[in-house]
Amino acid sequence: MDLGDLNEDAVSTARKLGAEDSIALTARVNDRMIRFANSSVTTANQVDEAELMVYLAKDRKRAIASTSNLDSANVKSFVRDLFASLKGLPESEYVPLPDRKVKYRPSTLGFDRKLVDVGEELPELAKTAISASLAAGGKRSAGVIDAATVSYAILTSTGTDGSDARTSITLNIRSFAEKDASGHGLSCSSTLSGFDPEEAGRRAGTDAKKMRGASEPEAGAYQVLLSPTVAANIVETVGSAASAFSVDAGTSFLTEKLGKNVAAESFSLTDHGTVKGGLGGRIFDDEGTQTKSIPIIQKGELRTYLHNLTTAEKWKTKSTGSAGLVSPHGWNYEVGAGDSSYDEMVREMKKGIILTSNWYTRFKNYRTGEFSTVPRDGAYLVEHGKVTKPLKGMRAGDDLQRMFSSIRLLSKHREWIEWWEVDTPTLCPWLLVDGVKITRAYE
Amino acid sequence: MKLQEGKQLAEAAVSRALSAGATYAEARLQNTRGRQFILKNGESQPSFFAEGYGIGIRVISRGALGFAATNEMKPKLVSGLAEKAVKLAKASAPLLKKKITFDSSKAVKRRWSAPENVKIENADAGWLRKVLLDIEDRIGNGRAGVKLPGRFLALGAELEEKYYVNSDGAKVEARLPRIGFFGSLTALEGAASAQRFIQQGETGGLEVVKRVRLVEKVEEEVKTMGKVLRTAVKPPTGTVDVVMSPELSGIAAHESVGHPQEADRVLGREGAQAGESYLKADSLGRKIGSPEANVSDDPNILHSMGYTPVDDEGVAAKKRRLIKNGVINEFLQNRATSAEFGLESNGASRSVSFDREPIIRMSNTFVEPGDYSTEELVKEVKHGVFFKTFTEWNIDDKRFNQRYVALEAYSIEKGEVGVMVKAPVLEITTERLWGSVKARSKNMEFEAATCGKGDPSQGAPVWTGGPETLLTGIKLGAR
Repeated sequence: MDLGDLNEDAVSTARKLGAEDSIALTARVNDRMIRFANSSVTTANQVDEAELMVYLAKDRKRAIASTSNLDSANVKSFVRDLFASLKGLPESEYVPLPDRKVKYRPSTLGFDRKLVDVGEELPELAKTAISASLAAGGKRSAGVIDAATVSYAILTSTGTDGSDARTSITLNIRSFAEKDASGHGLSCSSTLSGFDPEEAGRRAGTDAKKMRGASEPEAGAYQVLLSPTVAANIVETVGSAASAFSVDAGTSFLTEKLGKNVAAESFSLTDHGTVKGGLGGRIFDDEGTQTKSIPIIQKGELRTYLHNLTTAEKWKTKSTGSAGLVSPHGWNYEVGAGDSSYDEMVREMKKGIILTSNWYTRFKNYRTGEFSTVPRDGAYLVEHGKVTKPLKGMRAGDDLQRMFSSIRLLSKHREWIEWWEVDTPTLCPWLLVDGVKITRAYE
Repeated sequence: MKLQEGKQLAEAAVSRALSAGATYAEARLQNTRGRQFILKNGESQPSFFAEGYGIGIRVISRGALGFAATNEMKPKLVSGLAEKAVKLAKASAPLLKKKITFDSSKAVKRRWSAPENVKIENADAGWLRKVLLDIEDRIGNGRAGVKLPGRFLALGAELEEKYYVNSDGAKVEARLPRIGFFGSLTALEGAASAQRFIQQGETGGLEVVKRVRLVEKVEEEVKTMGKVLRTAVKPPTGTVDVVMSPELSGIAAHESVGHPQEADRVLGREGAQAGESYLKADSLGRKIGSPEANVSDDPNILHSMGYTPVDDEGVAAKKRRLIKNGVINEFLQNRATSAEFGLESNGASRSVSFDREPIIRMSNTFVEPGDYSTEELVKEVKHGVFFKTFTEWNIDDKRFNQRYVALEAYSIEKGEVGVMVKAPVLEITTERLWGSVKARSKNMEFEAATCGKGDPSQGAPVWTGGPETLLTGIKLGAR
């Protein structure tokens, strides 16, 4: 099953039927995973699958469909059915595909041939992480290692075609030392050589040990030092808010803020279609537009929303190469580095809390950006520049603009983050933020 | 049709896995077709259709689990996939501390389907759009009494068909049609804004839209948003009584009872992702709430989003009394966890797609009804707050410290519902919440929801619900 042939079948069928615009985008995924809990393997998985997405437009009527039934005959009948369905549709927001042919060659960024065949090594890599955690003080560990290879191919009715591929390997490990004492470690890389299960296991085990005897903090406003893991989870919500679709749908705190300050001057956020070390993205978006590096926030100022062709027309600008056919989105976020070391950031804190992991970030109102998130694993009270005790049982709440405008320091050190709580790969430093509200159960 | 063609492949895959060294094997064909239409601020978005068909094969070999899936449905490839699943299990076995076994649950042979009056296949883009336009007609341009600059309305119709076979003799064929609505609404009144996310849905055919009063419900929600923005005042803080609506009872039941009572979490299997549980394997029989605290999960409710009379391990699914009279009574089990507990599975294993392994899931989780009318329940309150709907919510990964921020809420004074109050916050431990239940109404209602769990993530359709539930002596905050 050649992805290029499938695209050719789809687009040529659409052309013959009379579609004005058509796009065929195929993706083939090979995913290998091992999971463990209580330091024992729970399952080993492998998924091989391919999918074809087709976009058709005629008379301003548009339809998108995806199928996993990829026999050539089925693809042709699939496109015929989709084209027939256009008749019953209303006109919708429509922008024709640009009249240009672009030939894409696969980017070498984010692809490591050595990762393509990784599979049988996964149990050994898991063992390395578990052993490192144990040596650092964790008593038992749960986690997952996931190795993925994704190949893409695109063909449009205007002649744009090409392919790209990505590899990634990620480890998410959590270690437990006793009842409420746990630590978290991640290693996320687009190359095998950049993957470090030992360091991730060591971190998880170290925090698990340090969290023994944790107590609940007093509720109140604190300086909060967010690890790259926590910061990336919140930064991802800023990236989502930058989608022009979110702005239109009323779910963005960045509404009516183009050209305005939305963060501290030290904060910059860029989205990259492809970037060295990036675990996601590709060189073309879903409409065949070349992806690039898009400065979303520069020195605290909101510079642009993320656009596809349709939203760009509406906003009288150009596509940023961020399609999603319905909703534009980011590919790989990068937060600019600061100039502080971790130790300097801790010394800067008078009354603060270090958070190393979090989950369950939920919004009261996406337009105002009011949210709360639940810290878990390593969390520590800092008093007058010194870590004094481990903390548990709290919740951090804020609104996004206040939080990002209150960034005091960013670290030089940055890490790629992608895990259960961060879908879009994000290169992130530690962030020291003033005045974050910490609450706990009232009783 | 596709399922009929694939049956032999599935049965051959089970045989192949056994001959390759599996001590247990199962194959699940799953064919899902879904159509969706979106209106954004009244504008039609491209119609969307998705179909996914493939096979997932799960085996036990040398005491380890292996799972492999593909959508390339060629006999040679599927046979190779069965061998691959066995190979994966064998290769991981050295990292096994305790062998995985399945219980001896009776293998079910059954064909089942969710009842539908008007076949789901009739839900074309035109029908979906018409329903959304009916909603838009009632809420667009301030017609429901408040400006809604952000309106995202999505209606979907999905048909899930499965064929499941395992080496213990189970053979199950299922047809599950669903209608699901999601709306994101942002209301503005001057500089103030309110936001509401509405999810509605049932299993069934096109009749679902009328049965759930979808159009009317969304209009009512929008009118309420306007009232919140115009009239809500500061809520009382300090110690009050709280009446949780069916919506609040449902989310609390789901988050702080259903999740911590998933046996895989209790045993640590979800530790790195969704987390573990404040409960341990020996917590069955522990008193956690007042005698009025009664929470169940029932996969056999007709029309429900979690309707699953036979689970994805070929086990007949039973109602689970999770908390009975304040005592932890039962966990949600699959065949592996029940073997560890020395029990039989209660049929809680589900998978959302052929490329996802079955894991323990809730179905329809709810507070059991009591014998009060809603009015009688409110009469019991001298000073309190009626939580009707919620926006922000979250809970820690042990499912013990939770928070619900209300959108629609009212004060209650001397047994009478009073003024609307703004964003009261219930931030409370699981033990305190269920320990505070004094009474429940007879009025049962359910909401559709999507439950997240697993790695890769699986969003499972569920219902959450219950009656009005009275909590006494609760410390309340405000956002």
